[in-house]
Amino acid sequence: MSEVVRAAAGSAPQAESREASAGERRWRVSRRGFLIGVGMAGAGLALGVTVGLPAARLKVAETFSEVSGFGGATNDPDAWFEVLPDNRVRLFLTKVEMGQGVHTALAQIAAEELGLAPEDLEVLQATTSQGVMDLAGTSGSFSVSSMFNPLREAAATLREMLRAEAARMLSQPTGALRQEGRAFFVQGDPSRRVTFGALAANRSNWQVPKEKPALKPAGEYRVIGRPHPRVDTRDKITGAAVYGYDVRVEGMLYGAVLRPPTLTATLKSVRTARAERVDGVRKVVVDLQNGFVGVVAVSRAAARAGIEALEAEWQSGKLWQQEEIDAAMTVGGPGGVTVQRVGDAPRELRAPTLTAEYRSPFAIQSPLEAQAALADVSADRAVIWASTQSPFVVRRFVAQAIGLKEAQVEVRATYLGGGFGRKAGWEVAVEAARLSKAAGAPVHVGWTRQEELQNGYVRPPTHHRLSASVRDGRIVALEHQQASGDVLFTFFPKVAADLVGADFGAYRGALLLYDIPNRHTIVWRRALPIKTGPWRGLGLLANTFAVESFMDELAHAAGVDPLEWRLRHLPDTLWGRRMRAVLEAAAELGRWGKPLPEGRARGIACSTDTDTVVAQVAEVSLEREAGRIRVHNVALAMDCGLVINPDGVRAQAEGGVMWGVGSALVEEMRIENGRVAARNFDAYPLLTIAEAPHVEVALLDTARDGKPRGVGEPPMGPTAAAIGNAFFALTGKRLRQIPFTPARVKAALSA
Amino acid sequence: MQLKINGKLREVSGAHGDMLLWALRDELGLTGTKFGCGVGLCGACTVIVDGVATRACITPLAGLQGKEIRTVEGLSDGATLHPVQQAFLEHQTPQCGWCMSGQIMTVVALLERNPVASEADIVAALSRNYCRCGCYVRIKSAALAAQQKMAAQRGEAAA
Repeated sequence: MSEVVRAAAGSAPQAESREASAGERRWRVSRRGFLIGVGMAGAGLALGVTVGLPAARLKVAETFSEVSGFGGATNDPDAWFEVLPDNRVRLFLTKVEMGQGVHTALAQIAAEELGLAPEDLEVLQATTSQGVMDLAGTSGSFSVSSMFNPLREAAATLREMLRAEAARMLSQPTGALRQEGRAFFVQGDPSRRVTFGALAANRSNWQVPKEKPALKPAGEYRVIGRPHPRVDTRDKITGAAVYGYDVRVEGMLYGAVLRPPTLTATLKSVRTARAERVDGVRKVVVDLQNGFVGVVAVSRAAARAGIEALEAEWQSGKLWQQEEIDAAMTVGGPGGVTVQRVGDAPRELRAPTLTAEYRSPFAIQSPLEAQAALADVSADRAVIWASTQSPFVVRRFVAQAIGLKEAQVEVRATYLGGGFGRKAGWEVAVEAARLSKAAGAPVHVGWTRQEELQNGYVRPPTHHRLSASVRDGRIVALEHQQASGDVLFTFFPKVAADLVGADFGAYRGALLLYDIPNRHTIVWRRALPIKTGPWRGLGLLANTFAVESFMDELAHAAGVDPLEWRLRHLPDTLWGRRMRAVLEAAAELGRWGKPLPEGRARGIACSTDTDTVVAQVAEVSLEREAGRIRVHNVALAMDCGLVINPDGVRAQAEGGVMWGVGSALVEEMRIENGRVAARNFDAYPLLTIAEAPHVEVALLDTARDGKPRGVGEPPMGPTAAAIGNAFFALTGKRLRQIPFTPARVKAALSA
Repeated sequence: MQLKINGKLREVSGAHGDMLLWALRDELGLTGTKFGCGVGLCGACTVIVDGVATRACITPLAGLQGKEIRTVEGLSDGATLHPVQQAFLEHQTPQCGWCMSGQIMTVVALLERNPVASEADIVAALSRNYCRCGCYVRIKSAALAAQQKMAAQRGEAAA
């Protein structure tokens, strides 16, 4: 994880140097890989089956520097594709499918350059032993944008290799060939043709193109930009899709792990005799040094009964209460890091026009599939099936935990029943691996809902103070002070965190982009008694809630329409023009300024994330007696650049809005008596279909630069602010703390 | 004990606990029925028992003998999808998919019992089925489309 986040930080120290010249790297014939491929795959000539390759080649494949932005990828077709003699073409992807539709989008990108339809490709999840190292994992809304060029280049290279071999087999110049699906034929004589499968039989003849093959111009796209059904839908509606919690192998056992009774408790001693006598228990594993105690049994129920029967003695730590955390989570004092300084905001803010404070609470990612992994560990090898966003990080931590080399550990990512940042960890895989090693059998560990709620890392609470000076209908100075727990620093070595200074995950969305001459953002890192970490969008939702609520307050204070107020403060830059376009599109879609039914009002807000700009108009009403806000409709306009799969992007936008509504109205985690109060969904409810708004989506591509941008997280940015702003429009009262629970709504109404 | 699951009698030992969910998943390998919360709150484990949408995670095995248990695996014959599945496919409803078996089984049970269910009936029936990805817009539209499909099929059957 540390490499991942350092690579993302513009100002971060350089990650360890890898393949500095990778930008110039050309595809090479990997004869050895090919020969090994033949040996491994039998009849299949395996482009890309690099099982058993030496670590040196894995290192070569690790080409982070060749892609701008986050993560990185090789453009070596050997790493991505396998052409089989039966004319199947396989696409192996390192990015995991957790609902965001990435397997479909990447298949569309590959199919475009291969001249195929996406359904001509068999999309498979690459394991960590297939030659491409992807330390970035699947996070940060960067999968499509970071893979776009490498994957197109790999596909184009494969296409030209196939064409050259087809020309040789048909004794024609390459220019005389035409492609039809997975076959080439001689122009004017379609009977003289050769299939990809037949070409695969001559794999040893294939020539590397001397020049980098040309990529299709955007005007010729036939697959990119068109809605395509997802490759995983059918398996997900028939129950056939296999997730980490579903993996089954012969002879498997089940594991469970002892959890501390409070956040700060440490294990002093444990007596295992009673647990060992529980029916079905096969092994009790105690590793006091690492604070690990687990039970292996013939069923989950027996494993948990074993855990219950353990006699553990704990050193109890401080019993934290939520009120103490709220008091500590405040801006101000020493330690603030200035992450944005334009002009001289402090000078202009000696007598601010308006100051307001906002808060967001702890929240839990709560993927509906809890943490799950199956480990099969033997003396010199381990195979891990895991529901993970970070297969290579899992590999490293599993190898460390069980004393194997990383090359001896293969992680096979499954489908994920939701990730949302929570499956960027490695705990459950390490637990399964430790237990499997001790038991000498494959062991599955699947967390309970209580474990999922109480034993992970959560979204940190935040506190914001915003101040502005307004003169002549314009903001002349704006300052955002923000305090947060760690988001990405949780995974940093301390030294790296100290060097970077401020957690850019925590201040994601906090910077002030409006055209204001004096802007200042200062952030405080606050220690918390609970591990906090990535949650979909990281700081985006909380920071946007604060900044965009404040913009609304300023607009109303100035007596200016909130849409007009935002447009007025956009610069005449590409970003400013893109933001103007989505604000105007959302306003039109959301009928901004048009008559409303009695008792309803609209609010508007916008955000920028991963270079995607989003604006939303929320329409709300209020049950005054109950203090319940009802969100009827959210109109969303988004410019995420080149869209690969419009329907997939719409789905992400719809889901992102639901996350925004959930955070605005429902989600709040509390700490009581030293532990997470919630044990199940009764105490940590999620948004339901009954509270879900209708969602309308407009997709724009204003820049038209041919580059896709992020869509997994950006759409959730403005929702909470748009709802709060609509509430103000309805009631004249301002809600400055999410979620807008009935208690807070009633308090605001009577204020 | 013997349980009738998806039309076939299956021998179930109960070695994986007292609740139906774990017999389905860990004993019989019918992993299409998902675990979400273990206390009947989230709906991921919804199956149909004698025509009624039922939370498998809190349904004891004892008492299920002689009853018709249906899981997502039994909805289609492999080639032809159930109309509810077909509608969920056409609306590209799932994202992560973990909740989908429960959503689909809930809709199947509702529409078999009440073929003219209103949108409000559908929302009420699904109001305790969480979808963490937030596919609610499409779940609702897919369920409404499924109702039309099933009505059309009945029409054809009657004609």
